[in-house]
Amino acid sequence: MNTDRTTVEELVYQTCTALDRNDYSEFLGLCDQQFEYKVTAFSPEIRKDMTWLDHNRAEMEELFHTLPKHNSDHAPLTRNAVVYKVSYDNDKKQANVVTALQIFRTNLDGGATQVFAVGKYYDTVSLDHDKPILVKRHVKLDTRDLGWGNHIPI
Amino acid sequence: MSRNSKQWTQKPNLPSTHYADPKIYSDPAIFEEEKEKIFKKVWMLAAHESEVANPHDFRTYEHPGGTRLVIMRGEDMKIRTFYNICPHRGNLLVYEPSGNAKKLVCIFHQWAFDAKGDCVDIPRGKAGYQDRICESDVGLREVKTEVGYGGFVWVNLDDSCAPLSAHIGSALDYMMPELETEPLEVLWYYQATLRTNFKLIHDTNQEFYHDYLHYHNRITGMLDPKSGYFQRKYTAFPNGHASVGSMNVSYDAYTGSGHSTLGWPKLPPNGWKLVDLFPCITYNLRTSVLRIDSYIPLGPDRVLLEFRILGLKSDTPEVRKQREKDAATIWSPFGRNLHEDLLASSGQGMAMARGSDPMYVLHAREEDNLIHDEVGMRHYLEEWSAWMGRSSSDSTRKIADSKPQATAPAHQEKDVAQPA
Repeated sequence: MNTDRTTVEELVYQTCTALDRNDYSEFLGLCDQQFEYKVTAFSPEIRKDMTWLDHNRAEMEELFHTLPKHNSDHAPLTRNAVVYKVSYDNDKKQANVVTALQIFRTNLDGGATQVFAVGKYYDTVSLDHDKPILVKRHVKLDTRDLGWGNHIPI
Repeated sequence: MSRNSKQWTQKPNLPSTHYADPKIYSDPAIFEEEKEKIFKKVWMLAAHESEVANPHDFRTYEHPGGTRLVIMRGEDMKIRTFYNICPHRGNLLVYEPSGNAKKLVCIFHQWAFDAKGDCVDIPRGKAGYQDRICESDVGLREVKTEVGYGGFVWVNLDDSCAPLSAHIGSALDYMMPELETEPLEVLWYYQATLRTNFKLIHDTNQEFYHDYLHYHNRITGMLDPKSGYFQRKYTAFPNGHASVGSMNVSYDAYTGSGHSTLGWPKLPPNGWKLVDLFPCITYNLRTSVLRIDSYIPLGPDRVLLEFRILGLKSDTPEVRKQREKDAATIWSPFGRNLHEDLLASSGQGMAMARGSDPMYVLHAREEDNLIHDEVGMRHYLEEWSAWMGRSSSDSTRKIADSKPQATAPAHQEKDVAQPA
């Protein structure tokens, strides 16, 4: 098991830059065949967790596949991630990674940038290969008013 | 052929019911008038009873009339609503959107109020006010509150308003079996703040011609002859409400939707019912999930959208998870349809912003009240005009005194088809 923290951090950052470039094949190339992706937010209004996306790998592939058929906001999103904590599970040959996340949206017309969302990635990374692979990503959003929203996973 | 300035701004050669003056979507004076004549008089959906499930639970609501409210369940299990303001020095009583408190205590000077709105403590009251002011003089301002139509909490700032049932009429009758079979529970609550007029976003629920915007709806409805899409009919109800007949959504046509076979009690499998209520509330029951929209206008070009996604109170964790997954496909902030609706409504808000010289807005499609007919918007603006006392097609033209709801005449139901 490779416990080099740098390679784990680089995986997280590479997933961000791949999504920033809307390079979904590169993103999926960093993910396990059993990849699970979830976006949740806690609502203080109703005091409940809400699950806004919950996809396995096949569903993620279909999501990316159908994106061009939809009308979407094409303003680029830029992810700024800082890996806070990497803890290792030797039995499972995995790392659990907590990453602080800020996402910025830049207007295509004029280039003004605003915060789109803040939250955290809770990632499970397999270390049982030549290089780390993303097995599970749980995005916990602090931001809940996302304006007109977005079609692209964050 | 493109148009010059005169042609661009001239009224369409149509009945005045079939187009709207763009000023009603951007004029600040008209917006202030809407607050006074409509929002301070009409019933608004403020919360669901499951958000204040237990005695002493409270929930805040930013009323579109401009007043902040707090909804609270008492020990007697009755839900009451009050202005969220301390009668002492005008501070907010409740800062958090929800919670549980035996007393609402103002942080400023510790004045305290119970769940019936009675003041129960004024620190050093006798020492400061002697007998000039006592606790019974300074209760909270209570607001008319009713619970119904699926367990929703409705409020009306007008003490002399007619009952909620007089406002809703029979508009929700065809959805009541689904709404009242079992207690409901809110699974999601989220907001979206947009730069557009509230009537424009409400229009996206009042006309389905815009399904050309939605790949998901085209593929699961419009393009499937078996879906019954083009047979859906509008029914217009008194007081500006309208419903759309059901259809059979062909979820399988959208690959990757992950949509389940989970249904909803009393609703046919893959069914879809929708009711729009005046002035900006929508009940949208689609297969396994109920979505409630309730909009809070913040200005002529700004609106806070409240979305609630509901399931059944009896749902197991597994069923709830599936309902959330079904809802997420189209209606979460990352869903296929909601993003598209909000993009289009925001685009209207930007394009028709004050000073942008927009044209008259067409509401002119007539297709025997079928799904692409724009009768829903026409019916809505007829009601809007009656409340505002001004024409929606010529906002400078007064048509009659505006009508307070308590004295609103009962309209005749429109001669259009009943929902399937």
